[in-house]
Amino acid sequence: MHWTIMGAAVLGGWAACMIWFCLVLVRRIRAAEVRAMPMLRWVGHAIADVFGLPAATAVADLPGRHAYLLPLALCLIALAVWTFAPRGLTRMAVPVALIGLGIAGLLRARSYARGEPWPWPSSYGFATGTGGSLGTYLELVLIQSYGFVIAGLWLACRRLDHNSWPGRVVLREPARRSGNRADRPRWGLLLIPLFGMVVELLGRTSWLDFYWWDATLTMAVGAAAVIAIIRWPAVAADAAVATLLLFGLYGLALAAGWPRHVPLPSPYNDVVRYGVVWVNSRSSSVLAGVEGAALVSFGLWLLPRALDDRTRTLMRSAADAELAGRVVRLTRTRADALDTAAAELRRVERDLHDGVQARLVALGMSLRAAERLIPVSPAAAACLVAEARETSLTVLGELRSLVRGICPPVLAERGLADALRALALDAPLRVNMDIDLPGRPDLPVETACYFAVAEALANVVKHSGAQQAHVSVKHSDGALRIAVTDDGQGGADPKRGSGLAGLERRLGTFDGVLAVSSPPGGPTIIAIEVPCALSSPKISIS
Amino acid sequence: MRVVIAEDLYLLREGLTRLLLAHGIEVAAAVASGPELLAALLAERPDVAVIDVRLPPTLTDEGLRVALEARRQVPELPVLVLSQYVEQLYARELLIDGAGGVGYLLKDRVFSDDQFVDALRTVATGGTVLDPEVVAKLLRRRSAEEPIAALSPREREVLELMAQGRSNAAIAKRLCISEKAVSKHSTSIFAKLDLDPSDDDNRRVLAVLAYLNG
Repeated sequence: MHWTIMGAAVLGGWAACMIWFCLVLVRRIRAAEVRAMPMLRWVGHAIADVFGLPAATAVADLPGRHAYLLPLALCLIALAVWTFAPRGLTRMAVPVALIGLGIAGLLRARSYARGEPWPWPSSYGFATGTGGSLGTYLELVLIQSYGFVIAGLWLACRRLDHNSWPGRVVLREPARRSGNRADRPRWGLLLIPLFGMVVELLGRTSWLDFYWWDATLTMAVGAAAVIAIIRWPAVAADAAVATLLLFGLYGLALAAGWPRHVPLPSPYNDVVRYGVVWVNSRSSSVLAGVEGAALVSFGLWLLPRALDDRTRTLMRSAADAELAGRVVRLTRTRADALDTAAAELRRVERDLHDGVQARLVALGMSLRAAERLIPVSPAAAACLVAEARETSLTVLGELRSLVRGICPPVLAERGLADALRALALDAPLRVNMDIDLPGRPDLPVETACYFAVAEALANVVKHSGAQQAHVSVKHSDGALRIAVTDDGQGGADPKRGSGLAGLERRLGTFDGVLAVSSPPGGPTIIAIEVPCALSSPKISIS
Repeated sequence: MRVVIAEDLYLLREGLTRLLLAHGIEVAAAVASGPELLAALLAERPDVAVIDVRLPPTLTDEGLRVALEARRQVPELPVLVLSQYVEQLYARELLIDGAGGVGYLLKDRVFSDDQFVDALRTVATGGTVLDPEVVAKLLRRRSAEEPIAALSPREREVLELMAQGRSNAAIAKRLCISEKAVSKHSTSIFAKLDLDPSDDDNRRVLAVLAYLNG
């Protein structure tokens, strides 16, 4: 009866936890808290945050007879932390708890080896302590402890990744291999377990044995390691790799039987404590060799990833080359944009100078002559004034075409879609339009695209001999895509004329590209793609 | 005849007002922005409105939008739209309801005040007046491929003037031929374009435009 009630309460508690978790999860996903990383990964983190610690506790079997009560309590605490605490705290809770579980296992192994009493149940994970030899029990506890510590450190390393931290600027960088500067602090964290293993090996007793000098020395070196990790992450990473290699080599040496001739001070009955393996026999020295080989392999794998900056520059060359290429491209397109703008201004200046200004001078002269003629010959004066009026009409016409060349009025008034429709109406051949734009790109992009299509259509009229052309405009995947197709004779060579090259330069300023496909016999397809965003849609009358 | 003027440049607004007054046309209101224009059109119900395409507050095609909106609320309200440039696109939007009483001219045409006032009167009486530049574009566009190529040069001239909203008499005067010759030409044009011949100026223009825009 008592156990039934207990079981029901535990099950109810778990169900409540799950419902709570799901509710908060859904709310957070709705609140778009997942923008810093892919959603599945984010949900995975959330599950680890809440259930990681209780699961680890259950696996370690720390609660013993009261199985599921401690995990349930821990789950409630984790849920509360996850729901209400700042995100940074939550991020580190699970790794810290895992490391704590591992340390508990190490302490258990220590007290067991010394034959000291232990307050918790004798089982630790799959080391039950009831069957098998005591040596096996010790090994099992040690392996699991180090497993928890390593899992905790690994998780901490993952979460130290700057993208996982809340409140930081999220840099969307291309997927990178480990081994560059941003990853270095992570490797430095390895110093802490390595330091613990070295202390164990050397037998300089640590935190439990309060021999003052030993404890002080241990804490001082440990503190130095922590400071190094924080302050000089690169140095800490290099030191971690070096320690890993040396420690691993020592394990191989153990297997070869070398330390028998170098007795190490040890308070534990001639046991050499080498990480997971405590060596006191021939067979356990072989295990030490295996561990050493694993550590050396890990160190060698890490070596190129944690080497000095010069090496790293070589390792990063792919990303750097991409950046360098981008800089070159930006420099070129910027120069092109400035050249184009300057040439445009020169053209406008020349047109104004040769056309409008000259005609206005003539207009003024005609009016002055008419002024003089009025008293003498009103009829001749009227003739001159009429001439002046004609001149003003010509000036207006020239200004109109000039303005059209700078920014077509329809484009400014209605946007790209209607401007292209107007262009199609004015074209001397049939142009079918297929425009699907839910909004408007920025005016500079619109202008560049407009002139690109205008130039393409002009080429169709001049060179292709086409009966009709087709223009399709759409916006997808963050880019404006335009295709101008004609049913003409084809054979257009983008390298021959300056028009297409000029268009390409102009579009290049916006990271746009222009591609021409024109096999002899046609059809000619000119495709334009400009990455851009659309503004909110405007109401259009059509 | 009562007219509402919408033009944001003060000098031009005053100039237009004076020009119309000089021709004995009453100016009911002269406004400078889109919202004012709509209010004035709905309140005054003028015989015709003279509207600049580009008006505050947006300084885009505000005038055109207001003109279309006013015609939606007051069907067949005659509007003469003026602009620094002409676009077939805008002409189509104005003509699309087929109700007539529409004008679309370059601002330059104001210089020839007699012709401008004639156009204004044509629009006020439900006629259609298009700027020669728009008409030329319309004709150029189709000339290459369609039966319009079958027209003789003289017939093309007649068609152009017809699309500008001129009557047979005006066309005859302009081309220095007899009115009878004009009607002969127009019959021939309608036959070649396969259109229903009609004496009504507006219907004639709309038919031509409908064909050209088809």
